[in-house]
Amino acid sequence: MITNPIGTASLAKREIFRFLSVSTQSVFPPVLTSTLFIFVFGVALGNRIDFSSTGLTYLTFIVPGLMTMHLISTSYENTSFSLFLGRWHNHIQEILLSPLSYLEMVLGLLAGGVMRGVMVCTGIYLVSLIFGNIPALHPMLLLYFMVMISVIFSCVGMIAALWAEDFNMLNMWNIYIIFPLVLLGGVFHPIHLLPALVQDISKFNPMFYLVQGMRFSVTGVSDISVLISALVTLGMALLFFLISVWLFKIGYKLRT
Amino acid sequence: MRDSKHAIEIDQLTKYYGNQQALQNVTLRVRRGDFFAFLGPNGAGKTTTINVLTGLSNFQGGHAKIFGYDTRREYLFARRLVGLCAQEFNFDPFLKIRDLLVFQAGYFGILPPKAARRADELLKRFNLYDKRNVKHRALSGGMKKRLLLCRALIHDPEIIILDEPTAGCDLELKFQIWDYLKQLNDEGKTVFLTTHYMEEAEKLCKTIGIINHGQIVRIGEKKSILQDKSLQDVFMEVTGLE
Repeated sequence: MITNPIGTASLAKREIFRFLSVSTQSVFPPVLTSTLFIFVFGVALGNRIDFSSTGLTYLTFIVPGLMTMHLISTSYENTSFSLFLGRWHNHIQEILLSPLSYLEMVLGLLAGGVMRGVMVCTGIYLVSLIFGNIPALHPMLLLYFMVMISVIFSCVGMIAALWAEDFNMLNMWNIYIIFPLVLLGGVFHPIHLLPALVQDISKFNPMFYLVQGMRFSVTGVSDISVLISALVTLGMALLFFLISVWLFKIGYKLRT
Repeated sequence: MRDSKHAIEIDQLTKYYGNQQALQNVTLRVRRGDFFAFLGPNGAGKTTTINVLTGLSNFQGGHAKIFGYDTRREYLFARRLVGLCAQEFNFDPFLKIRDLLVFQAGYFGILPPKAARRADELLKRFNLYDKRNVKHRALSGGMKKRLLLCRALIHDPEIIILDEPTAGCDLELKFQIWDYLKQLNDEGKTVFLTTHYMEEAEKLCKTIGIINHGQIVRIGEKKSILQDKSLQDVFMEVTGLE
């Protein structure tokens, strides 16, 4: 329950202020990188790839994948960096000493990750419109997936920030777990083009459901039912949110 | 705020770091409006006691209350009443110092216009107003000390807990802090101070507690503790220091 709305809003405002104050590092780089990806893969190479089996052009196919990839990485980076830096410099005490409940602390931190993720994701989508006509067929569903995916990885970022003892440990999650799973989740390829066995294995990759949900929201095409994607996304968001609140409650690596 | 006659009540507090016992059945009371000095050698348990009171440390036994609010079960109420001036400089590196204070006030439920007024008032009081638009890295050590005080006081707490507030300060700043703390105490605020400077405790405080090896070894009114001795002599005697 929210008992300190002003406090929660203050923390949320600080988190948003923090990444906006360094927007040349936090917002524009992923949009620029995606623009290059869209140009190289979607435009230059995409025209030579036969993608007729999906009913989409390659450009239209990869845009939702790129949006998901950067939504995930920016949401993760925002909360993980902010919370880890707070632990590193010990200014996390500013929050721990305040009359914010553990739920409110998580919500406040989450706000920055979600806002940054949604801004970057929207930016990539808007830039993609320069290269082709890619109307978002289900905008409300797109918003749902953007927010939910952002919640998931903002929470994962918090968990990683609490677990990590140094910056190397913090980056390990992104490099060795999140990024490979996202790439294998179908950012650049449709699942049905893979061998049958790999297709089956891919269904155990949670990122697959997130990418498919985003792709359906934009293009109306997906390798699986969008309802399943939506439910898996919701389940993951709830799970990681509850874990984050619990870790704050027990003071995992926050209280001595 | 509850109508408790004690600002701090600690009963049978026990705290371990791994296998090492940091606090052994610590029991103490600090009256509302008191100026309490909490003394002890390095590693005696002063900061650990403060951390337990403010919720920065977990503990294994006993209980702690702030103005009657249990610091674990009723932490949301207890924390509203406490301002902590920590030993170390732990500021958000992204924020200018005025913003830092305004955000801090916000966490305590103070709306931005009032928070901004309060921040300006404190920055002026501690001669930091000219530096309001710089980040803390641009401040000298003494200025950072003053900023710690501003942050502790931003929400107008009922009890101010200071962990060695004048360590490393020059004389002018030390006297300025002393004057301000006396003024706050005269206004009815409770002050809980740890220090290694005996003259500071002797000059400012009404009540003194001494902790050694995680146990309270002496506690009482300043007069009854000192009798005809200096505080330094009493401290050496009860802590066994030569």
